[in-house]
Amino acid sequence: MADAHQSRLWAMRGMYLLLCLLIVFFDLLPLRTTPMAWAPPDLLLALSFVWSERRPDYVPTFAAATVFLLADFLLQRPPGLWAALSLIVVEWARSHDRGHHERGFAVEWLGFAGAMIAMVVAYRLIMAITVADPGPLHLAATQAGFTILIYPLVVLVSHFIFRVRRLAPGDLEALG
Amino acid sequence: MARERNRTEDYTGPLKRLFLGVLLLCLFGLFLVWRIDSPRVERFRAQVIDSVLPSFDWAMAPVTATVKLLRDFQSYQSIYEQNQELRRELRTMTSWKEAAQQLEQENARLRDLNNVQLDPRLTYITGVVLADSGSLFRQTVLINVGSRDGIVDGWATMDGIGVVGRISGVGANTSRVILLTDTASRVPVIIQSSGQRALIVGDNSSAPPIDFLENPDLVLPGDRIVTSGDGDVFPPGLLIGQVAKDPGGRLRVRLAADYERLEFLRVLRDHGARQVDQPSALILPEDLPDNAPPPKKDGNDG
Repeated sequence: MADAHQSRLWAMRGMYLLLCLLIVFFDLLPLRTTPMAWAPPDLLLALSFVWSERRPDYVPTFAAATVFLLADFLLQRPPGLWAALSLIVVEWARSHDRGHHERGFAVEWLGFAGAMIAMVVAYRLIMAITVADPGPLHLAATQAGFTILIYPLVVLVSHFIFRVRRLAPGDLEALG
Repeated sequence: MARERNRTEDYTGPLKRLFLGVLLLCLFGLFLVWRIDSPRVERFRAQVIDSVLPSFDWAMAPVTATVKLLRDFQSYQSIYEQNQELRRELRTMTSWKEAAQQLEQENARLRDLNNVQLDPRLTYITGVVLADSGSLFRQTVLINVGSRDGIVDGWATMDGIGVVGRISGVGANTSRVILLTDTASRVPVIIQSSGQRALIVGDNSSAPPIDFLENPDLVLPGDRIVTSGDGDVFPPGLLIGQVAKDPGGRLRVRLAADYERLEFLRVLRDHGARQVDQPSALILPEDLPDNAPPPKKDGNDG
């Protein structure tokens, strides 16, 4: 029983890394070489948040940090800053699991929206303090907006396809 | 059993928090180092990309091709109108072709009379586009030639017709091209027919604006824009595009290169980039023509 649980745990950790690499891979495909007026959502952040909110053990801190940093390097962002902010938000999601009290989905979504907006503000603030160019505001705003909008979809896909669900109180006993 | 689990969590909790703190410190530290010593970290980035991306390469080409195929399917619906339009265009093109051939012959005759030598130093290396920047804030592409092929930072990159961008960041097997549309791109140009100098300033739009123009009244939409070679950014005389006016009355460039389909890029070798060392130095030919040694052949044309 414990053995099966262990193997599933590692399979899901592997699945997390695989999905993250897949997202970065599709971002990198040379399909749009002309500038766009809007920005697609930051799927990497949404996925990490959803998974660590539901099953923190599937998203090890170190794996998340590595993925974020690699994305920063590959996607031409200032290395480290967006990764650090994403890591803080993901760890914040992880801490929700501790209390085992059930929160409604609306509260969770609101929390994510607040975190996303705080991230963009903090990013632009730090870039402004260090006199770096933070990029056009409307792109950052549309990216945050789309990420918040796509969040329920990521939750549904995680729930029904990858079966990432919160542990019910009884499950913990069974896992040992 | 549950209590035991709680106890281990109490024990590992602070450790985990410490680990997280160290990780965050490293990430913020890396950002600060990037801010202070950007070239070093960017070189590191080029190395990371150089080692990661070629392992994606086998999958990237087929997936890109499939997506493009699907997109093309959508355009089949309008194929009849497109065909008609192309026929019309073809008819005008044949007359142009006739004119071009006559001009070419005339040009060849005149060249012959003048004994003109075209600059043999402008040879090129062709690379394939591997990936785009993946982010909307940067307009760059990655090509599959690098320092191994003799690519040097700052060389101009063209597609078949016009300038696409400038090399910035060279790895062993890959190098990054900053497109003219990127916010970090500034190119000195000459607007032909009036001969005015200006800067093309990338601003993350598909038609970059023309800046630092002395007299905008002399410039008409449709004028050709070529690189001026000022500041040794690019070799002079490369086609960039045409002047266009946006609805706000601002002058912009309609780029000659086809940014919709960047597949093969030419990197122009530019061995003759002249450097100005002193603030008030004149730019002169390195040797006067009289006692110039016979032109040396460069070693790395592969």
